[in-house]
Amino acid sequence: MAADGAWPSGPGGVTIRCEGLAQRFAGGVTALAPLDLTIAPGLTTALIGPSGCGKSTLLRLIAGLDAPSGGRVTADGRPPAQICRDGEVALAFQDPSLLPWLDLRRNVALSRRLARKAADPALVERLIGLVGLAGFETSRPASLSGGMRQRAAIARALAAEPRLLLLDEPFGAVDELTRRQLARELPPLWQARGATVLLVTHSVEEAVLLADRVLVLSPRPARIVDDIGVPLPRPRPAGITDSPAFRQLTRRALTALEGGAP
Amino acid sequence: MTARLAGPLLLLALWQGLALLTAGRFLIAGPAEVAAWLADQSGLVLRALAVTGRNAAVGFVAGNLAAVLLAALAALWPRSRGGVLALALVVHCLPLVATGPILRVLLGPGEGPQIWIAALAVYYTTLIPLLAGLSATPSGWLDLVRVHGRGRLAQLVHVRARAALPYLLAGLQIAVPAALLGAMVGEFTGAERGLGVLTIRFTRALDVPALWGVATVAAGVALAGYGAIGALGRRLGAPPPPVILSLGAAPRAPWRRQAGGALLVLLAVPLLWWAAIEALALNPFFVKTPAELWLALTSAPDSALRRATLAGAGLQTLAFLLPGYLAGLALGAGLAALLALAPAAGQVVTPLALAMRAIPIITTAPLIVLALGRGAAGTVAIVAVMVFFPTLVACRYGLAQAPGRIMDLMQCHAAGPWARLRHVQLPAMLPALFASARMAVPAAVLAVTVAEWLATGRGLGQLMALSASVSDYTMLWLCVALVTLASAAGYAAIAVLERRVLAVFAPEQLVR
Ligand SMILES: Nc1ncnc2c1ncn2[C@@H]1O[C@H](COP(=O)(O)OP(=O)(O)OP(=O)(O)O)[C@@H](O)[C@H]1O
Ligand SMILES: [Mg+2]
Repeated sequence: MAADGAWPSGPGGVTIRCEGLAQRFAGGVTALAPLDLTIAPGLTTALIGPSGCGKSTLLRLIAGLDAPSGGRVTADGRPPAQICRDGEVALAFQDPSLLPWLDLRRNVALSRRLARKAADPALVERLIGLVGLAGFETSRPASLSGGMRQRAAIARALAAEPRLLLLDEPFGAVDELTRRQLARELPPLWQARGATVLLVTHSVEEAVLLADRVLVLSPRPARIVDDIGVPLPRPRPAGITDSPAFRQLTRRALTALEGGAP
Repeated sequence: MTARLAGPLLLLALWQGLALLTAGRFLIAGPAEVAAWLADQSGLVLRALAVTGRNAAVGFVAGNLAAVLLAALAALWPRSRGGVLALALVVHCLPLVATGPILRVLLGPGEGPQIWIAALAVYYTTLIPLLAGLSATPSGWLDLVRVHGRGRLAQLVHVRARAALPYLLAGLQIAVPAALLGAMVGEFTGAERGLGVLTIRFTRALDVPALWGVATVAAGVALAGYGAIGALGRRLGAPPPPVILSLGAAPRAPWRRQAGGALLVLLAVPLLWWAAIEALALNPFFVKTPAELWLALTSAPDSALRRATLAGAGLQTLAFLLPGYLAGLALGAGLAALLALAPAAGQVVTPLALAMRAIPIITTAPLIVLALGRGAAGTVAIVAVMVFFPTLVACRYGLAQAPGRIMDLMQCHAAGPWARLRHVQLPAMLPALFASARMAVPAAVLAVTVAEWLATGRGLGQLMALSASVSDYTMLWLCVALVTLASAAGYAAIAVLERRVLAVFAPEQLVR
């Protein structure tokens, strides 16, 4: 199930720039206070913050799925709708949203079709293997478990070979063992492609393990309370979670998280 | 499996029993008698069936194609949705009893009117579930399409179309009996061949076994088509949809905008009507413009008489319509609730009710009149029957929707079946009941006007038949306008009530 050989390199990632980005919903809920943020290309940035603070809202704005109530987002200077049209974005959201009438293989391949990229059955097979679903290629989503569906959604997002990959709690329903394994095996893939990755997670360890930079958000409306660089070697060596450097980073993130709470 | 067989067997036994009980009163021909008559007249019946079947099939295809195109338009261009729904409703509310003769004089003899009416009879019952299906897609699926930079067309192709397939099939299933019904009503208006023609002939001759025979054939063919589409759905892996009758997202606009929309439709319909007359150069003797109708009602020398005639007939019709409609709803919902308390009985009745819904009820109108007489009872019963079966099916379905977890919880607290029914199942049934009440308005109007036309000789149905036969096209069109307006208004009134009630009992049904 491990990836055999190197992953193909890609055209590199995009730079995301949020300027005064704000989101206020019709009901009067302010999910994002004006937020200024630049996300460097080719790096993995993790967002952690209390539930309901506006993480998914931010991701939806960056993906161009919602229009902000104030400010703007750009990716390499283009509006989100444009990078979507250019086929450079992929996402795996909290809810896997697999199409129930397609089998796993077709579900994974669907993102390529939608992004108008040439079919690549070999890549699809390899990604299915990477997320540990080899043997289930012809299964329908209804016969997969919740964690399996989430992994399928991750494979589907990767199949589009995006320059910007948005992951919203992609491992929420995945068991601990598989989580660790994915945390080891996924980053080499998107790093080879040079993609910009934005990852929302509730686990401080996961954030530090996967990301080059951890942004800690305050309760709603989200502000950045700490911006932590992660200078750990890549690929992360086994047992790094026991190292003092790792412990110190997680402690710092945790403190910021607690300090941000009322 | 035994339950599925028990229903039809029970029905056959009941039928035969009733026939034996009423033997000598020339009301009911039992299965044995009907079989004998069919065997004897198989040539005649098969020839008529071939004609009616072909017209119904062409109408079925045309009407459903129109429904699919309209639904696709609404999906690709959401702003058109309100207009599509409103115009579709108005056309659906046209009284077939009047459109039949009008199409007859416009299209001449031949099969035209039958096909048109069959198409008119099916498109709405396909359009509504299809629209519901097209918009019943989880937003995550659509986001997936959008994030890859694709628009509404890709949403339709990759997500909505397939997601709506079960809804389409559910609509097509109901369209089978509706198409047959439409073709037969079309044949009532002076066709030369077909099951409808036989029905009229045997009604006049009071030929009881023949009437039952024709009704049996129509019902059998409709059931076969209904079953075939169900089987096709299972083959395609498209199980029956979660909500068949849902309005599919009525606009959640403020009432001011809704009232504005309604006004717009009220203005648009006469305009489109007038434009159609001009564009198609329709014969002004047969087709009246809205302005002509207005003058006929307000300033023509005989306008007072016209108003009185219309009002009188309208009130007569209402006197049959309302009790039948309410009785059908109450009996359907009541029986569904009772069956929820006795699940074993429900297993027998549900397939039966599904089957009865698949029968073009109108073709049984002469039989009911035969049994209950030409007075009020017969007509009220026809309306009630027309409303009863869809309501029963919808309510049974709604009851089954009661959230399983809450039902489990009730079980935990050892709540009895009555408490479960009151606190969980009845609220869960309400959306289905209202959807069914809404859809039943035009159906009930159709039933009452056909019954009046064929049997009782009273009310708007009779007035339309009479006006057609004496070529009083002004009066005929006045009836069309009145019936359409009244049906659409009734439908809209129930939709308003529905939203009020759902906002309290099933708010999740109103989302999107
Ligand atoms: N469409 C919406 N309309 C109104 N309010 C919304 C909408 N979407 C989100 N919210 C509100 O915005 C706030 C932020 O929601 P969001 O989904 O971004 O939180 P989150 O940080 O992703 O939480 P979680 O970690 O639980 O997923 C919440 O208070 C939520 O209630
Ligand atoms: Mg979230």
